[in-house]
Amino acid sequence: MRIKTISRSVDEFTRERSQDLQRVFHNFDPSLRPMEKAVEYQRALTAAKLEKIFARPFVGAMDGHRDGISCMAKNPNYLKGIFSASMDGDIRLWDIATRRTVCQFPGHQGAVRGLTVSTDGNVLVSCGIDSTVRLWNVPRPSLEDSDLSSEKSAEPSAVYVCKNALLAVDHQFEGELFATSGAQIDIWNHNRSQPVHSFKPGNDSVISVRFNPGEPDILAVSSNDRRMIIYDIRMSSAAREIRMQTKTNSIAWNPMEPMNFTGANEDGNCYSFDGRKNEEAKCVHKDHVSAVMDIDFSPTGREFVTGSYDRSVRIFPYNGGHSREIYHTKRMQRVFCVKYSSDATYVISGSDDTNLRLWKAKASEQLGVILPREQKKHEYNEAVKNRYKHLPEIKRIVRHRHLPKPIYKAIAESRAVNNAKKRKDDRRKASSAPGTIVTKPLRTRRIINEREVE
Amino acid sequence: MGGLKRKSSSSAKSVAKSKKKKKGPHLPNSILKVIADQKRPLNSDEEEEEDEIDSDDEHGGDLYEYEEGVPEEESRKNNRYDRHDNYDYELPDDFEDENVESEDDDFDGGNSENDDDDDDDRHTRMLQSLTGMPSAAFQGESKSKPVLFTEAYPEGEFNPTRDVLEGKNVLTEEDFLAPLEGKPGYHKTSKQIARMRKDTKHVVHAPLPKPQRERLERKAVIGLVDGEFSKWVHLVKKNREAPTVYFNQEVDLGYSTVGAIASEFQPRTEFEKKMASLLNDSEVSEAHRDDGARLLELNEVSMEDHIKKRDHIAKIRNLLFRHEAKSKRIKKIKSKTYHRLKNKDLKKSSLGALMDPEMAKEEAMRQEAKRVEERLTLKHRNTGKWAKRMVRLGLNAKYDATRAAIAEQLQMNANLSRKMHSMGDGSSSDESDDEEGLNDGSDEDTPSRLIAKAKEKTLKTMEDDEVPNAGLMSLPFMARAMKKKNEEANEEAKRALEEYEEWENSGGENSKKPVSVSGRRVFGATAKVEAPKESKKDSDNFYDNSDSDNDMAGVEDNDMEDVRDNASPARNTGTITETEFDDAAGNQASKTTFDVAMFASGSWKKMTSCKNTESKKESKKTRAPISQSQDKKGSRDEESEDSESEAEEMVDGVLASASKETFEIPSQAELINRAFAGDDVLDEFEKDKEEVLNQEVPKPEKPVLLPGWGDWSNVQRKRGISKRMVMEHEAEEKERKQKLKTRKDARLKHVIISEKVDKRAEKLHTTTLPFPHTSKEAFEHSMRMPIGPEFNPSTVVSELNRPEVVKKTGVIIKPVKFEEVNPNDEVDDEHPRNHQKQRSKKKTGKRQGKVKSK
Repeated sequence: MRIKTISRSVDEFTRERSQDLQRVFHNFDPSLRPMEKAVEYQRALTAAKLEKIFARPFVGAMDGHRDGISCMAKNPNYLKGIFSASMDGDIRLWDIATRRTVCQFPGHQGAVRGLTVSTDGNVLVSCGIDSTVRLWNVPRPSLEDSDLSSEKSAEPSAVYVCKNALLAVDHQFEGELFATSGAQIDIWNHNRSQPVHSFKPGNDSVISVRFNPGEPDILAVSSNDRRMIIYDIRMSSAAREIRMQTKTNSIAWNPMEPMNFTGANEDGNCYSFDGRKNEEAKCVHKDHVSAVMDIDFSPTGREFVTGSYDRSVRIFPYNGGHSREIYHTKRMQRVFCVKYSSDATYVISGSDDTNLRLWKAKASEQLGVILPREQKKHEYNEAVKNRYKHLPEIKRIVRHRHLPKPIYKAIAESRAVNNAKKRKDDRRKASSAPGTIVTKPLRTRRIINEREVE
Repeated sequence: MGGLKRKSSSSAKSVAKSKKKKKGPHLPNSILKVIADQKRPLNSDEEEEEDEIDSDDEHGGDLYEYEEGVPEEESRKNNRYDRHDNYDYELPDDFEDENVESEDDDFDGGNSENDDDDDDDRHTRMLQSLTGMPSAAFQGESKSKPVLFTEAYPEGEFNPTRDVLEGKNVLTEEDFLAPLEGKPGYHKTSKQIARMRKDTKHVVHAPLPKPQRERLERKAVIGLVDGEFSKWVHLVKKNREAPTVYFNQEVDLGYSTVGAIASEFQPRTEFEKKMASLLNDSEVSEAHRDDGARLLELNEVSMEDHIKKRDHIAKIRNLLFRHEAKSKRIKKIKSKTYHRLKNKDLKKSSLGALMDPEMAKEEAMRQEAKRVEERLTLKHRNTGKWAKRMVRLGLNAKYDATRAAIAEQLQMNANLSRKMHSMGDGSSSDESDDEEGLNDGSDEDTPSRLIAKAKEKTLKTMEDDEVPNAGLMSLPFMARAMKKKNEEANEEAKRALEEYEEWENSGGENSKKPVSVSGRRVFGATAKVEAPKESKKDSDNFYDNSDSDNDMAGVEDNDMEDVRDNASPARNTGTITETEFDDAAGNQASKTTFDVAMFASGSWKKMTSCKNTESKKESKKTRAPISQSQDKKGSRDEESEDSESEAEEMVDGVLASASKETFEIPSQAELINRAFAGDDVLDEFEKDKEEVLNQEVPKPEKPVLLPGWGDWSNVQRKRGISKRMVMEHEAEEKERKQKLKTRKDARLKHVIISEKVDKRAEKLHTTTLPFPHTSKEAFEHSMRMPIGPEFNPSTVVSELNRPEVVKKTGVIIKPVKFEEVNPNDEVDDEHPRNHQKQRSKKKTGKRQGKVKSK
C-alpha cells in the first residue's frame, strides 16, 4: 500500500511571533499557471490607474517674496535649505520642511540674478544687476530655527564691486572658486576682491554659467549671441563652442556623466550635448511650447527638470525626447528657475508670481516611512507597469496628462505647423531630383557652427 | 599711393570736420579760425606735407571744397527774420590771430643745428654706455651719411623703404661691425656675433599672427578638455549599462568577516582576559620568535598543577577499574532471563541502537514501521476517544498530568509523522520501501529463485486479463488494441515459460552466463519473462517507444521531454499555439494526449503540442500521430509498457540487447494501423474543420417565418417565404463562400488555420516592436517570464522587481567621483550592501556617493 503524505517539520512552520506571516508554499511550475501573463497585465493596468489616482505632485508653496523669483540655489550640504532671490533684491533662505523663511539677506539694489552656495554649504554668493558680488555666511541650521517663526537677517561678509551688471554666478564643486558672468566671465576666489581670472567670450553678455560637478575646472557658459562655450579655467581660451539659431537660457551639466550637458533653449526645446562634439546634439528634448528658462539635473543624472515661460515645469529623462511629467497650477506664472533637490525626491520651482513651489519628483510617490512590504509592493507595481508599458491601454493611461488650455492649444498649433512644414518638405523632395534636398536631422537642425578653418 | 590716399582721406576729414562745424550753430569765421589754429601745432610736422599733398590733390581734382552758404536768417536779407541777439562770444573784427604755429616753426628752424648736435651727442653717449666702446667709434658714422628723405611718409613697419621691399641694401651685422674694425673690443664683439649666429636654438621667431595663434591655442585647449572628458567614458558606460544604480548607501555596518571581527576583539570576561594575557604574553611570544628553547622553560609546570593532574588521572583509572569489575560480575551471572531482559533494555534505549550496527538497522526498521502505522492510523492526533473526551470535559486544562499526556501524544505524533531524513535518499517512503525490497531480493535470492519468482508473476499476469472500464483505456479502439497486445504478450510469456522449463530441465546449466547479483541488472536480465504487464494509469506511455532509447541517449526517463504531436490543430481556438507541457503534467491519466515520441536525427525535437481539455467530448477527438522514424525496438516497447515504479527499473540496456534478436520489428505504419484500427481519423478531422469554419464564418440562417406569422391564410401559406428574404439569404451564402475561399486554409486540406481575432488576446500584444528591442524574438523573450511573487521564489522576486535607480529619500546624492574602470571587466555581481567589498574599495581611495553597479 502506498501512502502519500505531506510531511512538514514543525520548526519550519512555527512562527516566532504572532505577527509573523504564515509561510506559504507555491508550486512555481509554469504549466500550473497558464494565465500569468494576463494576470500581470491586469496588475500593470491597475498599477497604472492607481498611479494616476495617487498623482498628487504639489506639496506646497513658499510665499514671502515681493517680486518675481529670479534665481534659486540649493545647499549642497543641507537638504532642507534652499535659497531664493527675487527681482527686487531680496534673498531668502527657506526651510523646505516647514516651508518658512529662515533668514533674509538684504543688501542688493535691484534684481538679484545669480545665487550659489559653496559645496560645504557655508558661503552664499549672490550677484545682481547692481554690479556687486556679495558673499554671505549661511546661518547654521539648528532646531530652534525651524521652531520659531522669527526671521533673522544677515549681513554680507564681503561685497565686491564690478564694472558691469552680473547675470549669473556658479560655485565650483569642492573648490574655492566661483564664476560670475555678465559682460565677461570672471573667476573669483572667496577672499579676493578682484577676479583671479576672466574670459571675454564676445561682445554680448553671458547669461548663464555652470561649473561641471565632475570636473571642477571646466565650466560652460551661454551668452546672448546664441553661443554655448566650454571653458577650462586653467586655460586662457575657450575649448568648444556651439552656436545655435536661438539663445540658450541656461545650462546644466549631468552630475553623473561629466562630459554631457543640456542647454535650455529659447525655442522651447532642450538640447543635450556631448562636450566633445559640437556638430550635433545627442538628444533633443521637446515638449515645452515656449522658451525654457531654467534647467537642473537630478543628482542621479537620469532626469532633469525644466521651467518654462509657458508656465509649466516638466521633468525629462536624460535620454528621452519627451517629458515624463508636467507640473502646472492655475496660479503659477512664468517659471524662471527650477531646482531638483539633492536627494532627487523633490523639485522646487520659482516663478513670476513671487512664489516658490515644492513638487514631488515622482507625482504618485508615497512619502513618509514605508514598510518593507509596502516598498516591495510599490516596486512590483512599478516593475510590472514598466514591463507592459508598451501595450496600448497601459501606454495610453500612463501618458495621459491634463494640460492647461493655452499649452494644449499651443501644442496642437505647433503640431499643425510642423505637419504642414513636413508635408511641404516631402512634396518638395518628391518633386526634385533625388539627393538635391536633404532634410537635416533634428539634432543638427538648429546648430549653426562655423567650420573651423584648418 | 597708400600715402596719398591717406592724405586725401585726412584732408577729406578736415573738410568734413569743417562741414560738421558749419552744420552746427553757425560760428563766426574768426572763431573757427582760432579753433583751427589751436589744433594745428599738435601735428605741425605733418601739416606741411599735408599741405603739399593737398595741393596735389587739388591738382588732381579728386576733391574739392564745398563752401556752405551763410544761412538765410544770418544773411539778414530783406530783414525777413527778426534780429536776435547773438549771445555767442564774438571776437572783434580787428582781432588778429597769434600765429603760434609759425612761431613754433621759427623756433624749430632757428635751433635746428643746435638740436641736431645735442641729439648726436646723446646718441653717442647712449651707444657708448650700451656697447661699452669709446665714443670715437661712433663719431665718424653719425656724420658720414647725409639725410635724404624722399618718401612721403616716414618709414616704419607699415611703410618700408623700397630697398627693403626689393631685398637689397639690407643691413647686416657686418655693416655695423665694419667701422669698428681695429678698435679695441672689436674682436670680442665679432666673436660674440659669430657665436650667436651658430646658436640656432635660442633664436626667437617672430610671433604668429593673432588669429592663427588663437586657433592653435584653442586646438590645444580642445584636445586637453576632450581628453579630460574621455577618461570618464568607461565609468559612464558602466553606470548606464548597470541594471540598477544605487544611491542609498550611507550606512556602514562595519566588519563582516571573522578575521576582521577577531582582529578587533577585546577580552571582556575574566576568562577571556586570562587567555588574552597568556596569548599576548611578551615572554611567550618572544620565545616563539627566538629559537624556541626558552619555551621549554616557560613550559614548566608547578607542583600543585602536577598533583592535581595526577589525582585526576587516578580518579579516572579508578572508575574504569570499577566499571570493568562490574561488567565481569554481570557476565558471570548465568541466568538467561536476566540477560534477555537486560538486552531488551539495552535495545530499547537508543544508546544500544547506536552501538550495534545490526541493532541499529533493526531499530530503524521498527521505527519505520511505527511511522507507517502512525500515518495510517493517526492514532496519536488527539482524535482518539480518550483524548477527545479529555478535551471535551476540559480535563486537560484541569490536570497537569492529563495535559502532559496529551502533549506527549502530540509530540509522539509529530515525531512519527515527520519525514525521516536518515532513511536513505529516496524522497518518499514508499520508494525507499521498494528499494529495500529490491535490495533484499538481490541479497537473498539466488538467480534461480528469482526466475522462479518471475515465472510466478508471469503466470499471474497472464491470468488477470481484465479490461479497464474507465478512462482512456475504456475507449473501444484502445480496448481492441489492448486486447491484441495482450495476446501477443501472452504468447511471448508462454514462450518465456517454455524457455524457463527448458532451462530447469537442463538443471540451470544455461544460467552460467554472468548474472550479476545486484539490483537492476538482475531484474533486467530476467525481466523479459515477466514483461507483459499492464496498468491503467500508464496509458500515456503506452506507445512510448522511448524506454530503451532513453538509456541509449543517456537521458533519464523522467527528465525527458515528451513530444506531443497534434495532428488536429483545430482545437479550442484553433490557433497554432505552442504550449509546452512538462512531462509530469502531461502524464496525467485524465489527459488525453497521445505522446508520439519523435526520434529524429538522434535528438528529441520539439514539435507543436496542443492543449488538452478535460472534457469527455474533447477526448473523443483523435489525432493521427506522425512519427518520422521508428526505432527498431517497436515491438519490444509495445509490450514493455511498464507499471509505474517497477518498470522503470526493469527496462534496461541489457534487456534491450537481449531481446533484439528474438522479435522481428514491425514497421511504423503497421504499428499505427494496429493501434488505431477502425479509426477514421480523416473523417473526423474534416468534421472538425467544418465545425471551425462554421464557427468563424457562421452559416447564414435559413429564412423562416416565426410560427404564427405569415400563415393566417392559404394565400399567405402558398406565397411562402418572401422573395426578399430568400434573396438576402442567397447573398449571404455567396458572401460566406467568398470568405471561405479567401481563407488561408482554403486549399490546404489537412490544415486548419484560424483567422479568428481574439480581442482579449489583442490587448496583450503590441502593434509595433517597442524601441529598445531589436527583434521580435528578443522582445518576446523578455516578456516571457512573469516577475510577480506568485510565480517566482521569494529569493529572486526582489531582484526581478528592482528599479533602475535605488535611492533613499533624505540621502544627499553627491556627483560622480572618478574611479578607474576596466572596460573589459564584466559587470561585477557584487551587491552594494556587501560591506566587505565596500570597505575594501574605500581603502583604495574611493569616496562615498559613488555609483555602483549590480
